[in-house]
Formats: sequence, C-alpha cells, structure tokens
Amino acid sequence: MTDSTDLTGGAGVNADATVAKGGREMILCEHVDKTFSEFLALRDINLRVSEKEVVVVIGPSGSGKSTLIRCINRLEKHDRGRIVVDGVEMSDDVRNIQEIRKETGMVFQSFNLFPHLTVRENITLGPRQVRRWNKKRADDLAMELLTRVKIPEQADKYPSQLSGGQQQRTAIARALAMQPKVMLFDEPTSALDPEMIKEVLDTIEELAESGMTMICVTHEMSFARAVADRVVFMAQGEIVEVGPPEHFFTAPREERTKLFLSQIL
Amino acid sequence: MRASDDLRLGTTSTAPQEPLPPPPEEQTAVRAGSPGEWLRVNLFPTPVNGLLSVVMGSVLAYVVYRFVRYVFVTGRWEIVRVNLRVFLLGRFPPDELARVWGAIFIAALVAGMVAGVSSHRRGGGDLRASVRRAAPLLLVLVVLLTFSRTWLPALLTVASFGVAGIGHLLGKVAPPKLSRRLPLLALAGVLGAYVVLTAFGGVGWALWGGLLLTLFLALGGIVISFPFGVLLALGRRSSFPAIRVVCVAYIELIRGVPLITLIFMAFLMVGFFLPPRFPTPDLTTRVLIALILFTAAYVAEVVRGGLQSVPRGQIEAAQAIGLSPLKQTYKIVLPQALRNVIPALVGQFISLFKDTSLVAFVGALDLLNVAQVVTSQGAFLAQGLAAETLSFVSLIYWACCYSMSRASQRLEKRLGVGER
Repeated sequence: MTDSTDLTGGAGVNADATVAKGGREMILCEHVDKTFSEFLALRDINLRVSEKEVVVVIGPSGSGKSTLIRCINRLEKHDRGRIVVDGVEMSDDVRNIQEIRKETGMVFQSFNLFPHLTVRENITLGPRQVRRWNKKRADDLAMELLTRVKIPEQADKYPSQLSGGQQQRTAIARALAMQPKVMLFDEPTSALDPEMIKEVLDTIEELAESGMTMICVTHEMSFARAVADRVVFMAQGEIVEVGPPEHFFTAPREERTKLFLSQIL
Repeated sequence: MRASDDLRLGTTSTAPQEPLPPPPEEQTAVRAGSPGEWLRVNLFPTPVNGLLSVVMGSVLAYVVYRFVRYVFVTGRWEIVRVNLRVFLLGRFPPDELARVWGAIFIAALVAGMVAGVSSHRRGGGDLRASVRRAAPLLLVLVVLLTFSRTWLPALLTVASFGVAGIGHLLGKVAPPKLSRRLPLLALAGVLGAYVVLTAFGGVGWALWGGLLLTLFLALGGIVISFPFGVLLALGRRSSFPAIRVVCVAYIELIRGVPLITLIFMAFLMVGFFLPPRFPTPDLTTRVLIALILFTAAYVAEVVRGGLQSVPRGQIEAAQAIGLSPLKQTYKIVLPQALRNVIPALVGQFISLFKDTSLVAFVGALDLLNVAQVVTSQGAFLAQGLAAETLSFVSLIYWACCYSMSRASQRLEKRLGVGER
C-alpha cells in the first residue's frame, strides 16, 4: 500500500498506488471508508490526483463513484481514513471544511441551480458572498465565464428559462467562479437529453485542456477515453482497477472490469 | 348522453360554465350566437333543466330583491351614519383627525409607489384591471362617503387618490432595483403612518378604536409575528437540541390553546409576570402581544412546510460553493421556502385579520365591538339595530380579506417568473 512511486510512463500501474502525471499532489485519499447504515459505500479507497490531472471514474451504479467525490468536499462525511485537498486535511473543523470547499468546484447531475436567482446571480453568489468581491468584479468574472461556456446572452434569464445543456453549462460556470483548484463532476450529463450531452462534454473537455485538475464521474466512455489521464474503475465500493485509458479500455486486467466493459461497449 | 344530463342537472341555472364536463360543454356555453340561443343552450336544454332554471331563478330573484330592499329601503342606516367616526376610529380625539388624514396620505403614496414599481416591471399597467382588482375597497369607500355628512372627507379622498397617482409616477421612475425591496417600502409606509399618528404629541394606540384598531392589531400582528415565526421555524430545524426543544415546545403549546384563551390570559395575567411596580401595559398592547404570540406559532408551522419543500440539492449546491450555514439559509433556502408558502401565509394573515375581532371579548373597542356598543346608545337602544351595524362591519371585513387574497394571487404570479 505504498503509494509514493511516481509512475510517469503508465506502464504497470497497480490498483491502489496511483500517480500518473508528475506534479504537485492535489487530492489524496488514504484508506477511506464510508458506511450508510449497514451498507458499505466505500471500502479502503486509496487515490492520489496530481495537479492538472484528469481522472475519470466509471463503474456500475451503486459502486460508490458519487459517494467518493462527495466525500472529497464533505457533502458526505467519511468514516475512516484521510482526505487531503491541496495540503488541507479534512477534519470536523468547520473552517477546514469551508477552506476545502472554496478550493473545489462541484457540478451535479441535476444541475442544482438556484431557481430564484438569474444566471448571472447564480454565478456571482459565491465570489460575492464567500470571497467578498464587489459587484463589478464579480459581474465581470461572470460574463467572462459565460462567454467561456458560450452562453453570454443568457446572463439575465432564470434557470427555468434555459435548456438542460445551458443549465449545466451555467452550473459549470458557477463552480468555476470560485476559481477552484479542483473540479468535481458528478455524472454531469446523466440528466440531459441526448442532443445536449455533447455541448456539455465539449465544455468539460476544454476545461480539461486548460489544465484544470478534475475528477469526473461519468457513463460516457468515449468522453472518458478522450479526456482522461487515468481511468478509475469502481465496483461495490472498491477501486478495482486504475490505468491510463488506452490500457484500460483495450487490455483490462481485472475480471470485473472486463465484465463491465463487455456489458457497456 | 344520460350521464352528461345528470351532471348538468344541479348546475345549470346558477353556474352554466361549471368546469366539470370539459371542453365541448364549455364551448357551447360561451359561443352561442343570439341571446335567445344562449338561453336555450344554457338554461333550457331539456325540460327538466328548464324547470330547474325557473325554480332556482325565482329563488335567486327573491333573495336579490330582499337584499336590495334591505339595503335601500328597510335598513335603518342612521345608526351607522351618526356613529361613522366611532366605527372608523373609536375614541380617537376629533381634534387630531388631521393626523389620520396624514396617515392615509402616506399610505396612499406608498400604495401608489408599490403599484408603480410593480407595473413597470410587468411593462405597463392596465387601468381597468387595477380598478377591477380594487373594486371591493372602492365599494367600501363609496359606502363610507355616502354616510359622511360633510363634503370634506370626499375632497380629501379625492386628494389621497391624487397622492396615490403621484406615488405611482414616482414608482415608475424609481430605479428598478426598488422592485426587490417592495416589502421594505410597504413596511416604511406602515411605520410612517404610525409615526404621523403618534409622534409629537399624537394619539397613543391605547385610544385607537374601530377600524383603525383592527388594522393596527392586524398589521402589527403580521409585521411582528412574521420574523418571529420564521425564526421559530428555523429553530425547529436547528441542529442544537436545546434550541429545537424550546421552539417545538413553544409552537405546540401555543397551537394547543384557543386564541380566545390567550387573549383572556393577556387581559388577566400579564400583571402577574411583570416585576412589581412595573406599569401594566394598556389593553391594546396586551391583546396585541397575545395575537403576535399566537400567529407566530402558526407562521412557524407554515414556514416549516416551506423549508421542507426546498430540495436537498439546493443546500448541497450552496455548500459546494462554500457558503456559510447562515448564508445557505437566508440566501438560498429561505427565499425559496417563503415563495412556496405565500398562499398559506396570506391565508394565515387573513385569519389573523378576522381573529382580531376576538379582542372585543375583553373590551377592546375594535370594529366588531363598535358594532355592538353603538346599539346600546340612548337614541338607538333596544331597536334591534345590530343587523345593520353587523352588516356594515361585515362589508369592511370582507373587502379587506378579499383584497388580501387577490393581492396574494397576484404576488404568486409575479414571483412565478423564476419558478423551477
């Protein structure tokens, strides 16, 4: 369980010790367990994510993918083990949790935009309330981000007036507005109509190319193959296999991975 | 065929466009050509329905006839005419009447501004629609002016309409930001009216009576019990057991006691709980406290329902962008929760408005009590005039409550913009 070796080449990646790209360590999970009354959701999770690395988490439903990334910003409380984000270790201290949440952006499957605020207000809420920016500065940033996700003309609409894809892109802009060091995506395209999936995936892909560190839970295999530096396969609360996508999709080593891939591909 | 005949039986004469049998019937009901055609389709489609229309129509006509006769012929309205000022103001000193008009002007100005601000948000107001909306209140105004014995009130009323018009213009040119501060604007109007009535040697609320007292108890109760109720609702969901227990105990205790009991307790028992030699507050203050304590518990339950209706994902999203728990509540959860419970809240406030009449039982001279008291004046004693005074105050109660309920419907529509 020593996970210090830096496996730059990607050859012979082992299941739990896991750093692919070089660079500073951004997220560290060590022996993380999580139980929902009787049901073991996460079992001895060990994962390291370096700066600028894109990790895609796949696996059957109920395998703990979402729980894992929700533990990283404390939407769920893990029971055992350590989680460290950018050098800050997660503890029960409220200030510690706030510190980590400031540095991590989260995008939800069901968008969770604030329906009583306009698109612009959704985006500026964090910078203004948490970072205490003035209105002008926050508005400028909002417009910049909306341009980046290609919906600047929707700034003054309410979320209910947008299409699903536009809503999810707004949610991405809202998360980016906090200028996070890490982005967490929890099945960002699962609630979308098929014709809108691409626009959201393109946005995420551009974000990945810009050097953002991210963990993305998804069922979109071609997307995983295109953006991932490493693919993490989870089943029954465990990390079964980790590897660069070219190895993972063509030559999986574990039986469970092979079974899963044969079912979906 | 038979089934649809049966459905129409009970409703034909009084409500031809009953929504039950959906499109075909409604279309025929509305789209009939000549008046004769309309009669045939809506009132006499079958012999049975025709008979029913005749019977119900005669009953209705008789009731309307008796009502009109009561209002214009048999009703002895002299008692209202003579006591009009008592009905409206109770024992308010006549020398200070100018203050009341001042308060009315302020209220008119603010009401006009609120209307102006919200109209330029919707993009142009429709005068006919707003007259229709204000119809109950206008009706009451006409009745009041009919009863007044001089021309001055009529002139001042016209002037207050002018003031409202100025307010409307002001509201239209006001910065659009104001449209988010409408509750604050209304609150400022209420406070302004209050200051004009009481400040600089004015009349303390102990001397208020009639409609003025009813409005004061209702508005005071609403304005103070609302924040109190919201805090109780939040406290009931607090993660601190001590706060939760106190809030639950308070809410359940108050909800288990009839309002009239609380009012009697406020009347009789407040003195026991105050430190010795502390002056016992006047009757109005005591019943106001009882109304606030009572309404706050109900508001708390309504708001709790609203809090529960906000999806978990909203709180998670607020957490994820790093908002503190306090800001999660008042920036994200509360605005959505309150919007969801507007109808229930307004319903609560309408009942509060009507419940203020219970203070008559401890001798406070509110609108209802005036209706009782004036019938025992020397000139009107033992003439059975309670019917007249009670119909008069019912009209005022109805106009106020109905307007509140209409206002809430509009508010719902207006806030529906950002709905999920």
